Amino acid sequence: MRRNRRLLIGGLIIFATLSYMVYGGMKEAIVYFVTPSELKADDHARSDKFLRMGGMVVKGSLQKDLKNLTYRFELTDGNTTYPVFFKGVPPDLFTEGKGAVVEGRIGADGVFQATTIMAKHAEEYSPHADGQAQAKSFVPAKEVPTK
Amino acid sequence: MTATIGHTSILLAFFMALCGVVCPIIAARSGQERYLSFARYAIFGQFLLVTTAAAALIYGLVTTDFSIKYVAFNTTRATPIYYRVTGLWGALEGSLLLWEWVLIIFSGIVARIYRDRHKDTMPWVILIFSIISLFFLGVIGFLSNPFEVMSPIPPDGRGLNPLLEDANMMTHPPLLYTGFVGLTVPYAFAMAALIVGKLDEAWIVSTRRWTIIAWFFLTVGNLVGAWWSYHVLGWGGYWAWDPVENAAFMPWLPATAFLHSIQVQERRRMLKVWNLSLIIIAFSLTIFGTFLTRSGILSSIHAFSSGPVGGFFLGFLAVILLASFGLVAYRADLLKEQPELDSMISRESAFLLNNIVLVSALFTIFLGTIFPLLSEAVAGVQVSVGAPYFNSVTVPLFLFLVFLMGVGPMIAWRRASWDNLRRNFLLPAAASLLFSLALFLWKVRDFLPLLGFTLLAFVVFSILYDTALALRARHRIAGEGILRGLVTLARRNQRRYGGLVVHLGVVLIMMGIAGSMSYSLEKEATLGVNQDLNIGNYRVQFQGLKGSQQPTHFRVEGAFRVFHNGNDEGIMNPALKFFPTQQAPIGRAVHRSSVSEDIYLILSGSSEVDRNQATLKVLVRPLVVWMWIGGFVIALGTLVCIWPMRKTDPAEP
Repeated sequence: MRRNRRLLIGGLIIFATLSYMVYGGMKEAIVYFVTPSELKADDHARSDKFLRMGGMVVKGSLQKDLKNLTYRFELTDGNTTYPVFFKGVPPDLFTEGKGAVVEGRIGADGVFQATTIMAKHAEEYSPHADGQAQAKSFVPAKEVPTK
Repeated sequence: MTATIGHTSILLAFFMALCGVVCPIIAARSGQERYLSFARYAIFGQFLLVTTAAAALIYGLVTTDFSIKYVAFNTTRATPIYYRVTGLWGALEGSLLLWEWVLIIFSGIVARIYRDRHKDTMPWVILIFSIISLFFLGVIGFLSNPFEVMSPIPPDGRGLNPLLEDANMMTHPPLLYTGFVGLTVPYAFAMAALIVGKLDEAWIVSTRRWTIIAWFFLTVGNLVGAWWSYHVLGWGGYWAWDPVENAAFMPWLPATAFLHSIQVQERRRMLKVWNLSLIIIAFSLTIFGTFLTRSGILSSIHAFSSGPVGGFFLGFLAVILLASFGLVAYRADLLKEQPELDSMISRESAFLLNNIVLVSALFTIFLGTIFPLLSEAVAGVQVSVGAPYFNSVTVPLFLFLVFLMGVGPMIAWRRASWDNLRRNFLLPAAASLLFSLALFLWKVRDFLPLLGFTLLAFVVFSILYDTALALRARHRIAGEGILRGLVTLARRNQRRYGGLVVHLGVVLIMMGIAGSMSYSLEKEATLGVNQDLNIGNYRVQFQGLKGSQQPTHFRVEGAFRVFHNGNDEGIMNPALKFFPTQQAPIGRAVHRSSVSEDIYLILSGSSEVDRNQATLKVLVRPLVVWMWIGGFVIALGTLVCIWPMRKTDPAEP
């Protein structure tokens, strides 16, 4: 009996520690995925959260300043567009009319301040099936992070 | 023609695998040995047939036979011959065939070398192999056929994903698959032992070498994957905690735990159920990994229905888990443990803690990997769990593991006396404290890296000290010098000294990870000709872009002169490859390694060729090169462990 009780207590302690670690880790690192429409619908509620937004880069919306490495563009899910600002070097697959996932927060000016841009990198790719892909299919696919 | 040969071979092999499932059962029931021979020949037959099928697919790829859909999708006429061959594992159908091929090679070797041994368990071992082979052949033959034909025949193929055109892609998947499949051997013997009810240490002893080999391939497979990510993906990192990477890494954790805990069972007859569970989990995770990476579930849970392969893998996984743990429960009365831990300060308890840490790491990584799937399935909320989660949970666990690596191999079995502790650990502990003081005085002031490097130094010092004591003893007894003494020690106790060398390799890898995680620098800029970018002790000067036509693509190469502390270190040439089949260029990052740090240059696709202007990202990553060196040290240690040698003097411990 003593042995069983010891095992139980040991197990509980380990489990509690692990749960605490998982909970703490998740709280810091979990990133919610939103579409431009969802974000537009209630961006106040999400203004303090770290988010991922997926969509297509609107053709003609991309303004890049290579000197300062800043990028302004709009992401769309077909219904709504949302403006994005990014400073840094985006992945090579990032371009107008293509899907992209940005990670960051909503800024005070209502522009999504992206810290990371991800573009899809599939093992089997298809050059002809162009931009029809829905942003959703980009979510947790194998991505090439920019940092 | 090629397609017909290939597909027919697979179908024939499928029926032979059926034979391999039925015959051993008859053999075990009736005791007629010829049925066992049938089963064995069924394995050899499958080996020949699957080899034929694999050869057919390779032949199709090499001769660019575009009537085969798989070939058309994974090669072009311009693809160099070696990348045509690696097209075998460039996509789902081919990589399943490769898996089955490796599996049947392993099964064949096992069936051959144990043909006269383990008379009671061998039928069941062959049965387990046949069931797994049957599953894979079924998937290849009926669901995901690499020999599917195409008509009309396209004039040219679509080609391998350019990112896969790399020398490491030639080795990474086969290495990893060899590791995965290697775990099948101890799993099959474990199940056979359960079925027969012979639950002593025999199954562990006879598969020990297989387990070490499988572990080695898993380790190196993951390491080559990290190297590929670093070398080819061009983002400057080697591990992103991507679900696909996690899928390959997860089996490594229970496999490592298993390698350690079987020593406790061998010596103390403890942890029987635990060891069985570990090998079941490790094997299941290899199937789970394939499910995760190959079912399309990662892109979205809704993609699930698009391919039947994922569902079959999940079903097979459920069968494996139910049947395996069912058997464990069925044999529960034979698995009662006798001895108990004598003391918390002992070798057993160090191994136990090691296992708890590894399984905890598995648990947290598993949770982080499947949490997005659960969240989407249960709550309909799409989330992702980023690298910070995995880092924050695994770093403390792995630091503790490093500490155990310094203690475990030197502490006494059963109950360590105060004297034993003082003799083995006082000097190494003092030395590592001095080392950490030196680091602190130098410039390492942050808590985690300081703790990490101190623990790593402790492992090294304790291994060196222990070996030095043993060498001194050899000198006293036999007058042997250092080299001669080392050889004698390694020969007399291959597993111990091989294991210690592997530990040193792990220390080197951890050192690379700790250094590059803690002290990397990163900077980006758009540069005109002759403009500079300064980072750390480096100055990078842009000298111009030039373009050239290559067989498969157009290449734009940047020239950057690198100065380190003012010294000219020569030119580095990161490049962009423009493939006609791809809209965006593929970056070709370059890096230069030294023992202290790597400098890593990424030329961005936003560079403007016509204006001779480069957008550049530069990273300085300390100690990365030690990860790859660590891999070689692990290989050396594994060789020491498994090198076939005459039986040592049984009087030696």
